[in-house]
Amino acid sequence: MHEMSLALEIKAICERELAKLPESRLTALGVEVGAFSGVEVETLQFCLEVVMSEGFDGFRCEVVRQPGTAACLSCGLEFQVTQAPFECPRCGALARGVSGGDSLHVSYIEVECE
Amino acid sequence: MSAERVDVREKVLSASDQLAAEIRARLEANGVFAVNLISSPGSGKTTLLERTVDLMKESLRLGVVAGDVQTRNDADRLLRHEIPVEAIETGGGCHLDARQVSKSLEGLDLSKTDLLFIENVGNLVCPSSFDLGESMKVVLMSVTEGEDKPLKYPAAFKRARVLVLTKTDLVPHLQFSPDHAIENARAVNPDLTVFSTSSYTGEGLAEWTGWLAGQVAVLKRNKGSGESAGP
Repeated sequence: MHEMSLALEIKAICERELAKLPESRLTALGVEVGAFSGVEVETLQFCLEVVMSEGFDGFRCEVVRQPGTAACLSCGLEFQVTQAPFECPRCGALARGVSGGDSLHVSYIEVECE
Repeated sequence: MSAERVDVREKVLSASDQLAAEIRARLEANGVFAVNLISSPGSGKTTLLERTVDLMKESLRLGVVAGDVQTRNDADRLLRHEIPVEAIETGGGCHLDARQVSKSLEGLDLSKTDLLFIENVGNLVCPSSFDLGESMKVVLMSVTEGEDKPLKYPAAFKRARVLVLTKTDLVPHLQFSPDHAIENARAVNPDLTVFSTSSYTGEGLAEWTGWLAGQVAVLKRNKGSGESAGP
């Protein structure tokens, strides 16, 4: 359940960003979570609701899952993957290894200025 | 009233990663090679460490940071091997974080340490997200676990440099194919270096400790050449 620690870090990032924008209110939050980051999206969303309820309300929360990329050893096709094993959609051979899908970022916030 | 979108593009763990970078710099300045051991509970991290330190403590200066949710049991077991050990009790926390490790390193003399083991909390998910400033992550998997564990928990295997298969003496009693398990791990991370070990019979421990000693030697040589290359 490290999603709670991550939700607290996300809240801290929101607070830092809002401190730069006085007289503004958070209306949306965008987070990107890699498929191989070891983070459960639904759990993170739940934890965000809990920790953000103190201090922020009425904002939209968008969590986007970022896939990784695998390359087929047989036909060379590069394709997006979200879980292992990585079967090539063109020839059915297995790819070994995956790049990317590690992301764990606050991508954007939207604010309303008074 | 106006609406505005702000591109943040900030890593969620940027504050933690910064502290991990500071730890890494501290370790490198002291020529310490640090290994972050990650596995499910009961994969044999502490037993592997006990055998490892017995084989290496005559030739290298060792240190251990041992994390557990509750109790100091693992740290106490390792202290009996007469090496410096710092315990971290996370008190419910499912992983070690850079802040805890940074604090516990104050209890060790890094200038007199060649090889540091960080024994993470037994958990194959959460610890893989947190950089502790280590030189590399090592993931353990025991033969009593499923062969498909690397597919179910890919993050830990993707981020590790080494896989240590443990308890191999039990293979004759199990329907477990080490080759299949290793193939699954390499499907996620083809660059893994793999050691098959038994802390009970000693199988594979010479290869594992020999490889670790080699990593320490490379670090010392690079550090030495880096210093002599200075003005």
